[in-house]
Amino acid sequence: MTGLTGLPLVTIVTFLPALGALVVAFMPSSRPNLARSMALGFALAAWVVSLIMLVGFVATDHADQFTESTPWIPMFGINYAVGVDGLSMVLVVLTTTLTAISILASFSPIQTRVKEYMASFLVLEVGMIGVFVARDLFLFYIFWELVLVPMYLIIGIWGGKNRIYATIKFVLYTLVGSLLMLVAILATAFTFQTAQAAAGAANPWDGAFSVAALSQAGASGMFGGTFGFLAFGAFFLAFAIKVPMFPFHTWLPDAHVEAPTAGSVILAGVLLKLGGYGFIRFALPFFPEAAHTWAPFIIVLSLIGIIYGAIVALVQPDLKKLVAYSSVSHMGFVTLGIFVFQEQGMQGAILQMVNHGLITGALFLLVGVIYERTHDRTIARMGGLGGPTPVYAAAFGFFVFASVGLPGLSGFVGEFLTLLGTFTVYPAAAAVATFVMILAAGYLLWMVQRVLFGDLSEFLRGLGHHLTDMKPIEALTLVPLGALVVVFGLWPGLILNVIAGSVETALAAVQSAGPIALGLWR
Amino acid sequence: MHFPDIVTIAPFIAAILVAAAILVADFIFPGRKVPALAVTFLGLALIAALVLLTGQTGSEAFATAPGAKGSYIVDPLTTFLDLLFVAIVALTMAFAPDYLEERGLPVPEFGATLVFAMSGAMLLAASGDLLVLFLGLELMVLPGYILAGYHKDDGYSTEGAIKYFLLGSFSSAIFLFGLAFVWGMTGTTNIAAVAAYMGQVNSGALPLTPGLGMGLAFMTTGVAFKIAAVPFHYWTPDAYQGSPTPVTGYLSVGPKVGAFALIIRLFAGALGDLAIDWTMVFMVLAALTMTLGNLVALQQDNVKRMLAYSSIAHTGYMLVGFAAFGAGNIRGMEGLLYYGAAYAFMNLGAFAVVAALQKRPGITSNLTTFAGLVRREPALAWLLTLFLLSLTGIPPTAGFFGKFYVILAAIEAGQTSTYGGWMTALAVLTMLNAAAAAFYYLRVVVYMFMRDPGEELPTLRHGRLVWTGLAVSTVLTIVLGLFPNVLLTIVGNAAAVFAG
Repeated sequence: MTGLTGLPLVTIVTFLPALGALVVAFMPSSRPNLARSMALGFALAAWVVSLIMLVGFVATDHADQFTESTPWIPMFGINYAVGVDGLSMVLVVLTTTLTAISILASFSPIQTRVKEYMASFLVLEVGMIGVFVARDLFLFYIFWELVLVPMYLIIGIWGGKNRIYATIKFVLYTLVGSLLMLVAILATAFTFQTAQAAAGAANPWDGAFSVAALSQAGASGMFGGTFGFLAFGAFFLAFAIKVPMFPFHTWLPDAHVEAPTAGSVILAGVLLKLGGYGFIRFALPFFPEAAHTWAPFIIVLSLIGIIYGAIVALVQPDLKKLVAYSSVSHMGFVTLGIFVFQEQGMQGAILQMVNHGLITGALFLLVGVIYERTHDRTIARMGGLGGPTPVYAAAFGFFVFASVGLPGLSGFVGEFLTLLGTFTVYPAAAAVATFVMILAAGYLLWMVQRVLFGDLSEFLRGLGHHLTDMKPIEALTLVPLGALVVVFGLWPGLILNVIAGSVETALAAVQSAGPIALGLWR
Repeated sequence: MHFPDIVTIAPFIAAILVAAAILVADFIFPGRKVPALAVTFLGLALIAALVLLTGQTGSEAFATAPGAKGSYIVDPLTTFLDLLFVAIVALTMAFAPDYLEERGLPVPEFGATLVFAMSGAMLLAASGDLLVLFLGLELMVLPGYILAGYHKDDGYSTEGAIKYFLLGSFSSAIFLFGLAFVWGMTGTTNIAAVAAYMGQVNSGALPLTPGLGMGLAFMTTGVAFKIAAVPFHYWTPDAYQGSPTPVTGYLSVGPKVGAFALIIRLFAGALGDLAIDWTMVFMVLAALTMTLGNLVALQQDNVKRMLAYSSIAHTGYMLVGFAAFGAGNIRGMEGLLYYGAAYAFMNLGAFAVVAALQKRPGITSNLTTFAGLVRREPALAWLLTLFLLSLTGIPPTAGFFGKFYVILAAIEAGQTSTYGGWMTALAVLTMLNAAAAAFYYLRVVVYMFMRDPGEELPTLRHGRLVWTGLAVSTVLTIVLGLFPNVLLTIVGNAAAVFAG
C-alpha cells in the first residue's frame, strides 16, 4: 500500500534531499546563491511531500502506512522496508520543517564553501528521515550512521574556534554506541534466526531484520534472560548517547557551542530525537522484559539528567551553552516519560520530543541572531537588548516562556503529561522532576533578565548601528516555529491523535512483561 | 569439467608468459611505457579470461579439477582469489606509472615484477601440495622485496627493502622448517593426504606427536609473519613507509591476500581437522593484531605509516573471520573472503590518492601535506574521504559490509560453538577497535577539510590511468557496500569448498 497517490511517497521524501545534494554538489562554486536557493527548493519539496503524507495519513489505522518493501540481501532476509506510523509521521514532518528552516537560516551566516554546506545538510536530512521511516534493522543502521558524516563535516568545517575537538568528540561518542548496537542487532537477528530454524521455517533468516517480526518475537518473550539484558544494554548505550542522557551527555555542550547556528538547530531539533525514537521503536518492543529490568536505573539517570542539566545551565556564562544544558534537562523528561511505561507518560515524552525540537530550535536560532551581530555569546557582556531591538526581545521572551513551560504554549503540555504519567507510577520521581521546573524558570528567566533588561551594556553600545533588530528573513525562520508552539499548546490533541496508535503499540508488549530475574539484579 | 593438466594450469602459465612478454616489449621499444602498459593490461585481461574459462564458478562445481597429480587444485576458491589478484595488480599498474615516471624509475620492469609476483599468488591459491604452497609463497614474496627497494637511490626504500627481505626470508625459513617436520611425521606433502592424516590424529587413531606439534607451531609462526599479525609485525611499518607509495599500496594488499590464501589452504585445507587446536591461537592473534595495530596507528603523523599500521588492524579483522571459521562457522570464511576483496579495493584506493599527491618527488606523506587539500584538489580529497570512511566501516560502503559480515560470523559462532562467550567478546572487541580506528582515519579528513594549508603546494595534473583506476575503486567500494548480493554468492561458493 503506498497511500493515496499510488506513489512511493516514503522513498520520495527520503531520497529527494539526496537528489538535491547531488544537484547542489555539481553546481559551480562561483554562484553560491544558486546553491542556496536550490537547496532550499529541495528541502521545501521534501517538506511538501511530507505534508502530503500527513494529509493522507489515517490516524485511526494503527498499523504502518505508506509501506514499501523490496528484497535487498535475500540471503539474510534483509529488505528495503520503509513505512510510517504516527510517531514516525510526526517526526518526519518535524525533520523536513526544521531542515527547511535551518537551510533558510544559513543563508547569511554561511559564506564559505556554500555548496558543500548545503549538500551536507541535505544528506543529513536523508539520514534523519531514513532513521524514522526504516522498518528493517539493517536499513535503519545504515541511515543511523549516515547521519554522522554530514554532521561531522558541518561542525568541523563551519563551526567555531574549537570545532575540531568538538566534532571528533561527537563522532567518537556516537560511534562507540552505535557499533556496540550493531553487535546487539546482529545477535538479536541471529537469535531470531535460530528460533525460526528450530521451528522448522523454510528460510529461517526471513524477518530476522524486520522490525515488525522482531517486535512480535520480543512480545512473545524470545529475547529474554541474560541475552535480552545485555542486548538491551547495547541498544540503551547507543540511544542514551544520542539523547543524551547523563552521564553520556558531555559531547553535547561542546558540539552545540561549536556548531554553526543551523547545525545546533538540527542537532537539538532532530538528532537528539533519534535516541528517544530508538527507545520507543526498537528497545521497548524487542526487549520488554529487559526494559523493565533496566527501567529503575534509567529513571534515576533521567532524574539526575533533569536536575543536573538545570543546575549546570544556571551557571553557564555562555548563551549557547546554557541552551545546550537546558536540552539535557528537557530531554530527561523524554526518557523519564518513556520508561514509566504508562500511557500519559509516553504521550508526554513524544510531545516533549516535538516541542523541544521546536522551542530549542527556535532558541538556538535566536542565539544565532545575536551572534551574527555581536560575534559574542557571553551573557555578562549583554544587557538592555530590549531597547534597541524590541522585535527580537519579544520573540526571545516568547520562546523562553515556551521553554519554561508556560501553560498555553506547547512546552507545558509535554512536561505536564510526563509528570502526570510519572506520578501514577513513581510519585517521588514526579515530585523531584516537578521541583526542577522551578529551576528551569530560574535559569531561563534570569538569562532573559541579564540579556534583555537593564541599561544597554558597554559592549553592545560599542557596536553602534551594527546592533540592528531582526531582519525579515530571520523573522521568517521563527514565525512557523512560534505558530506551531501556540497551536500545539492549545490543541495538543492534534499530535496526540496521530501518535495514539504508536503509543498503544509501544506499550502493549512492555506493559504485560515483568522484569527479568537475574542473579545479580532483582 | 575435467581438463588435461596443461589447460588446468593455463592461467598460471599465461601469467608467467605475460610477465616475460612485458620484458620483451621493453626490449623492442626500450624506455617507452605505452607498449609495456598495453602488453600488461592486455595480458591481465587474457589471464582473467583464462581464469574464468578454466575456473570453477558454479556452486554445483566443487568437483575440483586437480591438475598435476593433485598438486594444483582449481576450485571456486582458486577462481575467486585469482580474479582478485588480477584486479589488484591491474589497479596497482594503473596507479604506479605517474609516480614512477616522475622519479625516473622504469615502468616496464615494474609491471613485469608485479605480474611475476601475481603468478606466485595464483600458484599459492591453487596449491594442493605443501611444497607447491611454499613455492608459490616464495614466488610471490621475492618480487615483493625487489619492489620494496625499487627506488634504489632512496635510502629509506633500500632500508625498508632490506628489513622486509631479512624478516621475510627468516619467516620463510621458519615456515619451511615446520613444513619439513610435518612431512617427516606424516610422510606426505599432499594437502589432501595430510588432511586425511590429521583426521586420524583428531579421532585419536594416531598420536599428536611432539614433532608434529613443533611443525605446526613453526608453520603458524611463519604464516603469522607473512600476514604481519602481532607480535610478528615489526617489519611492516618500515617496509611500508620506505617503499615507493604505489608499491606500499600493493604490498599492503596483494601479499596480504596471498598470505591469507596460504592460511586458508594450509589451516582450512590441510589442518582443518585440527581446528580445535588452532582456533584459539587465531582468536588471540586476531585480538592482539587489531588492538595493537589500532593503538599504534593512533599515534602516527605520517599517513603512509598510519595506513601501514591500520593494515595490521585490518589483518586482525580478517583473522576474526578465520577464527569464526575455525569455530565451525563457514560464514567466517565467507566473511574473510568478502573482507579481503573489500579491503583490497578501498585500501588500494586510499594509497592511490596518497601516491597521486606525492607525484612530485620530495612531497612527504606527512599529515601536513593533506592540510587544506579540499581547496587544492577537491576530487582527490573527496575520494580519499570515501576510502577512509570505508576503512572505518561507515555504511554504505564495502568496508562496512565486510565488517558486518565478519562480526555476524563471529556472533553466530559465539552462539553455536563451544567458544561461546569468547567469540562474542571478540566481536565486541572488533567493534570497539573500529571506533578507535575512526579517530585516526577521521584525523586525515580533519586535515583535508578543516585545516588551512601550511605551505602552498602546487596543484598537480594526474594521468588518465590514475583517474580510471580511482573510478574503478570508487565504484567497487560503493557497490560492494550497497549491493553485496553478487559477491556474497561468489564468496559463498568459494567458501563452500570447506563446508562440512
